[in-house]
Amino acid sequence: MNFKRVAALLLAGAMVMTAVPVYAKGDDVTLSVSIWDTNQEPGIKEILADFTEKTGIKTEISVVKWDEYWTMLEAGAQGGSLPDVFWMHSNESQRYMSNDMLLDLTDKIKDSDLIDPENYPEDIWGLYTYDDKYYAVPKDIDTIALWYNKTLFDEAGLDYPTADWTWDDVTEAAKKLTKDDGSQYGLAMRNDNNQAGYYNLIYDNGGYIISDDKTKSGWDDEKTIAAMQTLEGWIKDGVIPSLETMSENNEDVLFEAGKIAMTCQGSWMLAAFKENEYTAANCDCVELPKNAETGRRASLYNGLGWAASASGEHTDEAWQLIEYLGSKEAQEKQAELGVTMSAYKDTSDAWAKSADFNLQAYLNMMDDMEIRPYSKSTVTWENEDNEILKGVYTGDITMEEACKQMADQMNEKLAEE
Amino acid sequence: MAKTTKSQARTKRERSEFLWGWLFILPTTIGLIVLNIIPIFQTIYQSFFKTGDFGKGNIFIGLQNYQKVFADKEIWQALINTFKYAIVEVPFSIVIALVLAVLLNRKMKGRSIYRTIIFLPMVAAPAAVAMVWRWLFNSDYGLINNVFHVHVNWVSNPKIAVFAVAIIGVWSIIGYNMVLFLSGLQEIPRDYYEAASIDGATGVNAFFNITVPLLSPTIFFVLVTRVIGSLQVFDLIYMVIDKSNPALTKTQSLVYLFYKYAFINKNMGYGATIVVVLLIITMILTVFQMIGQKKWVFYN
Repeated sequence: MNFKRVAALLLAGAMVMTAVPVYAKGDDVTLSVSIWDTNQEPGIKEILADFTEKTGIKTEISVVKWDEYWTMLEAGAQGGSLPDVFWMHSNESQRYMSNDMLLDLTDKIKDSDLIDPENYPEDIWGLYTYDDKYYAVPKDIDTIALWYNKTLFDEAGLDYPTADWTWDDVTEAAKKLTKDDGSQYGLAMRNDNNQAGYYNLIYDNGGYIISDDKTKSGWDDEKTIAAMQTLEGWIKDGVIPSLETMSENNEDVLFEAGKIAMTCQGSWMLAAFKENEYTAANCDCVELPKNAETGRRASLYNGLGWAASASGEHTDEAWQLIEYLGSKEAQEKQAELGVTMSAYKDTSDAWAKSADFNLQAYLNMMDDMEIRPYSKSTVTWENEDNEILKGVYTGDITMEEACKQMADQMNEKLAEE
Repeated sequence: MAKTTKSQARTKRERSEFLWGWLFILPTTIGLIVLNIIPIFQTIYQSFFKTGDFGKGNIFIGLQNYQKVFADKEIWQALINTFKYAIVEVPFSIVIALVLAVLLNRKMKGRSIYRTIIFLPMVAAPAAVAMVWRWLFNSDYGLINNVFHVHVNWVSNPKIAVFAVAIIGVWSIIGYNMVLFLSGLQEIPRDYYEAASIDGATGVNAFFNITVPLLSPTIFFVLVTRVIGSLQVFDLIYMVIDKSNPALTKTQSLVYLFYKYAFINKNMGYGATIVVVLLIITMILTVFQMIGQKKWVFYN
């Protein structure tokens, strides 16, 4: 194994040496780029066009929906035909890095003038570091905010949510905003909305999902359970739609239809709410509420990374592209175009001005952030968590029972890692 | 001497026919072996392993996957779901298609237009079909609920969701079954009906005493392929039932679970075990049908 790595490094080194003159006629190279978010596609395309103009290296982007994206990537990794450059997510990065599927960028970053790790949040590097080696360059950062429908608040004669709100205020307002005939609900939080939804409640209350050494689940922690009981209260009070309704029409669809007054959404939803005429005219966002007792207002956060295939044919060109995408210039452009907040320090002010919402709220949420919980098998235990939580929505089990079950299954899966 | 040359000539012709015959089926055979037969054995082989990431580092664990499958309530529920789906899809798609085929086999105005319309769902992509039906069934904004002024959670009520999905399945397969029946009907000589009408058997009588028996080989073929097809249902469920749908556990089929374990949870070995179990169930059912056919299928 070690010999293989040394040999690979030597080869890579040799390729860099010999590849320099090749750059001059790099026109023939077309890099395949894969992403999963159609909302971001137009902006990313523009940035890729800038890159082609600068270097002459062409790119071809393909957008594959989240679920199929990982199936495609898995097949590509197994068959040795990964895209040249693609998005990586904390749910899956550990598996890809530990199996040497991603191009090792450590030395390239060290030699780069454009990428200095200091300029990006440390925790995001953490998602894409394995054995002290870097495998991706941070693309963006996301935080969570509370979205509300101004028109519905006006109709109910309520004041808009402010940065001083606690989760109890949300509960009170939600009750007043819910209509008995089921035509309107106070808020929505689906069983699988963890990062933008209930995880924030948990960390506000001093609970946790996974221990720092990734060996133990925090679902059975008292504070976690107490926080989740807030959600149980909403379900019991009927201030959120039934799971049947939410599964057929996701939170954002209900929000865009004016059926719910509040929803917690990540900064990645901006493009969708900006494009939608109804939300653009009637809705706005504000910082997440605080926990009344602890006074904490945490935002879960995450960041995607730009990674390259270790077995790609054009790894040097791929690195050039990743280096450009991580550079201050491209990161600023990404923010200006309103694609997402950028990972590069202090470039997101431009993003906050990219739409007519109170987007400063998302930037303010950066004051207290918790990285989205992850381990090597995140997807497996997260999906199982979601499955168990359904029982609370349908009234089959209490939240406390659900939390215990989730802890058990998660501990079991963590032990297998 | 003359005799030997003749037989030599025959063997030569035979040999050339033999070669050409093989040559013609070679592309199909290679495709079948490479894409179907070899993967079947690879899947069976994989089901005895705890598979590692990206197909590396597989560990042989004997029958452990099978023990887990048989002890897994989720699998048994999925098996029940699959059967529920098949019990609706197979008979309804056959009976309705048969009636339609008989009606459209007569001389009538606009016959080919009707045939085309009924066959159209077969041409549409299953994903597109599922998306349209998902909106029709939507409990809040769906056409069905709004036209009939009811509020039924067609696809999210655990009790009825699997049948709602089966309705989509019936709708999309009727056209295909009908075309098969039509071709079968055209094989039946007119004389039988003429003779029957002289004896006073028309309409329903003729249908049950002439059409059904003489069409039974086609019906048998459709039955076997539909049973196999419905046991493999996946795309409709995957497209219509969202992951957060409370009805998911009561609708997911065995192939859906295979997809979940193999491609989402990346546990290839366990996924392989599930499809091997499905393969065995399908084979048993097909063997029973083959035995049962002797009682009701008439070959001329």
